[in-house]
Amino acid sequence: MTQLPLQPIEPTEPVGLAEPPGQPQTPLGRLAATLPGFRRLRASGTALPLGLGLLGFLVLISVTSPLWTPYAPGATGTGLFSAPPSGAHWFGTDSVGSDVFSRTVAAGRTDVLYTLTVVALALLVGSVWGALVGFFGGWLEWATLRLLEVLQAFPALLMALFIISIVGPGTFKVILVAAIIPLPDFVRLARAEVLTKKNWQFAEAARMVGNRPAVVLFKHLVPNSSRPLLAYASVSAAWVVGNIAALGYIGLGIQPDAVEWGSMIARGQSDVVSGAWWESFFPGIGILLLAIGFQLVGDGLSSRNRGEHR
Amino acid sequence: MAIETSSLPSPGGFAVPGWVRQVGRRLAGALLVIFGVVTLTFLLTRVFTADPSDLLSPPNATAADRAAVRARLGLNDPLPVQYLHYLRDLVHGNLGTSYLTGRPVTADLLDRLPATAELATYALLLGILGGVTAGVLAAVFEGSVYDRLLRVVTSAGLALPQFWIALMLLWLFFVKFGLLPGPTGRLPIGMDPPPHVTGFYLIDSVITGDLSAFGPALAQLVLPVLTLSCGVWSPLARGARSAMITALKSDYVRTARALGLARRRIWFVYALRNALLPVITMLAGTVAWAFSGSVLVEGAFGWPGAGHYALSALEGSDFPAVQGFVLYASILYVIVYQLLDLAYDLADPRIRS
Repeated sequence: MTQLPLQPIEPTEPVGLAEPPGQPQTPLGRLAATLPGFRRLRASGTALPLGLGLLGFLVLISVTSPLWTPYAPGATGTGLFSAPPSGAHWFGTDSVGSDVFSRTVAAGRTDVLYTLTVVALALLVGSVWGALVGFFGGWLEWATLRLLEVLQAFPALLMALFIISIVGPGTFKVILVAAIIPLPDFVRLARAEVLTKKNWQFAEAARMVGNRPAVVLFKHLVPNSSRPLLAYASVSAAWVVGNIAALGYIGLGIQPDAVEWGSMIARGQSDVVSGAWWESFFPGIGILLLAIGFQLVGDGLSSRNRGEHR
Repeated sequence: MAIETSSLPSPGGFAVPGWVRQVGRRLAGALLVIFGVVTLTFLLTRVFTADPSDLLSPPNATAADRAAVRARLGLNDPLPVQYLHYLRDLVHGNLGTSYLTGRPVTADLLDRLPATAELATYALLLGILGGVTAGVLAAVFEGSVYDRLLRVVTSAGLALPQFWIALMLLWLFFVKFGLLPGPTGRLPIGMDPPPHVTGFYLIDSVITGDLSAFGPALAQLVLPVLTLSCGVWSPLARGARSAMITALKSDYVRTARALGLARRRIWFVYALRNALLPVITMLAGTVAWAFSGSVLVEGAFGWPGAGHYALSALEGSDFPAVQGFVLYASILYVIVYQLLDLAYDLADPRIRS
């Protein structure tokens, strides 16, 4: 079971390029229409461009943050302690006088990087694993399905906390553990895709011209299943953002003083109750924007896969 | 001609009703998964760590203490023997002793269960009723301002971490406006709980007539319940909305409309009943969410429940307590999940037959 009910992504026939959309009306629209990729973007409604724009913006400002933030994220005593937002400190300062704005932007680097790594890992391992068991079936498939059932019987975050309490902290371990949470969904999705497509004509044709099974699977079936998998990767990234932040908030795995949104919220926690809301508020907005960006891209990709072009 | 096989007598001479077989299958499935959960937990703790006595002895233990732990736990036995002992302990409800409290983990968890149950029950009720109502209304008024607004609010509800929502609600209602009490747990500091009957303070204070605790207990409940229910109603509102939209576009609704039935009757009798079916399957996810959420939410509000216990155990490296909580939560979740699946089987006539 997914920890939260996600909208199911039905396996669909591979859809071709989007139908040509109507002619853009405004001059700006006509200009934009000449850009490569515009037609495909437009065909998927507003969710996809909006999400991609938001993610692009977040990645850009967080990656370039060392160049332009007013203070170093680790610098303490840059102003008064726990001072409210002002001209000098846009998001205020925290209990050791660090600039919350600089820290929030810099923390985006950690969270974006962790999220992308975790999702890439789960997508890669899950796709290969799911494709293999879907294609070859047999006892491996049976064992996989049983294992997934057991894995998903643990409430997700509890499972992650439990494993970290056993294996101990560390960046690499946090990434591995966070990747185990969405992994079962990727395995199931890849298996379902390959299972439905392995008897379609293109697969049969690939087999008939004498390709080995591995070639049929990884050169024909898996690439043709990539759209739903990528759409799901984006949907799942929105949850991963929250899980990473939760691990940081509890202070397990990620260093307690790391510049990371969850850790920042935890650090501001005691000050919020005495009125300094800004210390925890702004990192939460970072989590919100990143998660919404992934949600929008995921929604856009899956509606495009379903062929809901406007 | 099709033969109704399920009503034919079985070789033994008597017919097994369909629902009995259904229940039996679910029960067997649940037991298998619980067995898997227990086994995986064993493997994680005993096989993937170099020396489990590191985990199972207090952080300040001496070498002699560890040797004693090893002997007591039978860690020198072969793995299959250890596994059997582990199963035997589990069946007896023995999860070891907490280092932090010095008491059996099972007793600790049972003590804290009512606090969590009270919080989770109200949060689930509020979340389920609120979420389904909001989603169904959004489907009926699809495309309206309300529908779009709900989409934005549920997106935020899904994206925002619960510990952040908890903090911001506390700031708003406790610090800023002073309308609700601070994070001091189930009652204001120094106040005695009502006499123990069910362990639910609100219910206990009504049953025993000790109404002095009712108001304060209710005020303490508001913010944690609101926080925990956010993660419940956001996904349910979305799920109920899309299920209701599907139902409203179906052939039977078109037929009902063509027959001239009143719109309200179509919406709330024909469409709603069909739309609620897929929502049943979504409930399991929200229950799991409540378990995970209770760790974070109880921590933020100082709520003395099982989740708070697990959080302190995590921070204090109290491994038996963490393991106990995870095992209990997972087993409870599997049971709830299978019950919901069963409810779905029995509610849907297409599956029931």
